[in-house]
Amino acid sequence: MVAIITNMLSMCIPFSVALLLASLGEMFNQRAGVFNLGCEGVMAMGAFVGMLIPFLAGKGGAVSQWYNVLGFGAAALLGALFGLFFGVITVTFRAPQGIAGIGLQMFGVGTAGTLFRHFVGGTQSIPGIPDVDIPLLSEIPLIGDIFFSHNVMAYLAYLFVPAAWYILFKTYWGLKIRAVGTNPRAADSMGINVSLTRYEALVVGGALAGLAGAYLSIAQAKMFSDTLISGRGFIAVALVYFGHWHPLQIMGGALLFTLAQTFQTIVQSMGISFPYELAVMLPYVLVIVVLSFTSRNQITAPSALGKPFNREIRT
Amino acid sequence: MKKLLVLAFVLILPFAVFAQGSGESSSADDDTIRIALIIENTIDDKGWCQSMHDGITQAIAEMPDKNIEYSYAEKMLPVDAGSIARQYVAQGYDLIIAHGAQYKNLVLEMAEEYPDVSFAFGTSSEIGPENVFTYMPESEETGYINGIIAGTDTTDNIVGLVGPVDSGDSARYNRGFVLGVKSVNPEAKILVAHTGSFSDYVKASEVATSQLGNGADILTGSSQQAIGALRATAESPTAMWVGQDLAQLTTEEGMAKCIAASAYNYAAVVKELVSKIESGTRGGECIPMNFANGGFLFDYNESLKADWVSPELEALINETIASFQADPDGTLADWADVDYSTL
Repeated sequence: MVAIITNMLSMCIPFSVALLLASLGEMFNQRAGVFNLGCEGVMAMGAFVGMLIPFLAGKGGAVSQWYNVLGFGAAALLGALFGLFFGVITVTFRAPQGIAGIGLQMFGVGTAGTLFRHFVGGTQSIPGIPDVDIPLLSEIPLIGDIFFSHNVMAYLAYLFVPAAWYILFKTYWGLKIRAVGTNPRAADSMGINVSLTRYEALVVGGALAGLAGAYLSIAQAKMFSDTLISGRGFIAVALVYFGHWHPLQIMGGALLFTLAQTFQTIVQSMGISFPYELAVMLPYVLVIVVLSFTSRNQITAPSALGKPFNREIRT
Repeated sequence: MKKLLVLAFVLILPFAVFAQGSGESSSADDDTIRIALIIENTIDDKGWCQSMHDGITQAIAEMPDKNIEYSYAEKMLPVDAGSIARQYVAQGYDLIIAHGAQYKNLVLEMAEEYPDVSFAFGTSSEIGPENVFTYMPESEETGYINGIIAGTDTTDNIVGLVGPVDSGDSARYNRGFVLGVKSVNPEAKILVAHTGSFSDYVKASEVATSQLGNGADILTGSSQQAIGALRATAESPTAMWVGQDLAQLTTEEGMAKCIAASAYNYAAVVKELVSKIESGTRGGECIPMNFANGGFLFDYNESLKADWVSPELEALINETIASFQADPDGTLADWADVDYSTL
């Protein structure tokens, strides 16, 4: 039983990384007052570009790890460009954010699939990045497997959580992000460029979503297909609400969701008499139940979330 | 106006750049049999959709005396498929194959609307209207063969099975696999888990990783999502894989890990459909797929065969396939009785 629990816990960190990165990116978007439902599409593009570079370099075979680094970099850059594009639509042209997000999602998923068919062809895999055992720490019984035997990106993603907290709550830029998401008119009167700040948040959020997609294709599944993201972008949006727009709580939500995923897998594999359809639903039901019982959402949500800002119009 | 023209050009440009004709032929005469395929994924997904596409192209190649025109539509969700199906009807297609049980309602609705056109969908063992064929792979047979290999080759007596959903041919394959393992190794523990999706590769890889972590050393999986599970198996230094599609043998990880694979041979189904349509039968029948009628193929990974398939095991597999061919209805009649909670 200990081995089963250790196995379950050891999967939580690597399997939660894509959700964590995408959620943190969405958190920056929403903290600045922009609701980006297009996360799924940006992740799809990130996953495609991230996989494409090492695939083309090695024709599906082994390549230098630098090509994987390049893949992550390209995915982040493309994600940032998508964030910029979303900013043009929602910040400059003030299009309804929900509809624009759905459009971005469809555009990203569709474009990634089309480009993939054109440049790669059918479902292909890549060697991806390996797990790294941290010397000494990975040899600690139980703890070593759970925390210290994962790929480099998993460690970096979790190191980014305190960094995101610091940026958001301890820097002037973080203060500007929170200000334009809470009261853009007041921020504007204090000399903060609301549109520019929202653009910056969208670029950062897009880059993180792109990285999240690339993590799936380079580090986790080590392949790309049209359906690789399979709704994880929308789960990431839900986790931002789940985590009350706070990096540490979002990390907790990503871990809890992944734990529920791996738990239901274990339940099924152990042959426990439980309908698998309900087991598969478990993580999603968990998110809905927790969201339903967390009334703090009304208080902690950025009050200008989803509202375009126009300094010429007094609301 | 100029802006509108520029905008229209920009929107049309991607189609011009990426457009690829899916039709095999653009001209047709009265002797031509026109076949259209509607699928929810792509023709190169190394799974469900590719096997039907490959089957149709193979059947066309094996019937050089017949003038067959073939076209396909990919990524068609059931809600979108009605539009393309009606276009095929308008273009005079004789047989429209909607490859998936999810298209059942659409097919039945269109069959009533267009009684002169033949439709086919599967997997289903239902007998449809007189212009609807169904087809049902009796894939408990292929699962059984793979189960024999897994049950024989496992060293830790734990095997893993990554299923999509517990229905249709996947349910048959999975239960056949369980029966196959138990037939040669009653003590083996079989870890069964479903992802709830035919195409979530990431979740399939997570399920496989979980099973590998819990000691499984031979894994299998069905539908296109199984590629994700195979990819996860490739990460293990010791675990191996038995596949449900021959295309898996040709992938990088399949060449290293896939001991053997079976596949649906839809060419046999397509040839039978063409034959029936030519003879005036336009539906009202279910075409089974099994080893007896050539509906299944099976092959080994030659580079792994010496290490993983002993002469005794190969003889047992040959004997089992022969028994399926001799008695396709009786050998695994109890496949539906398999209860995963008792494993």
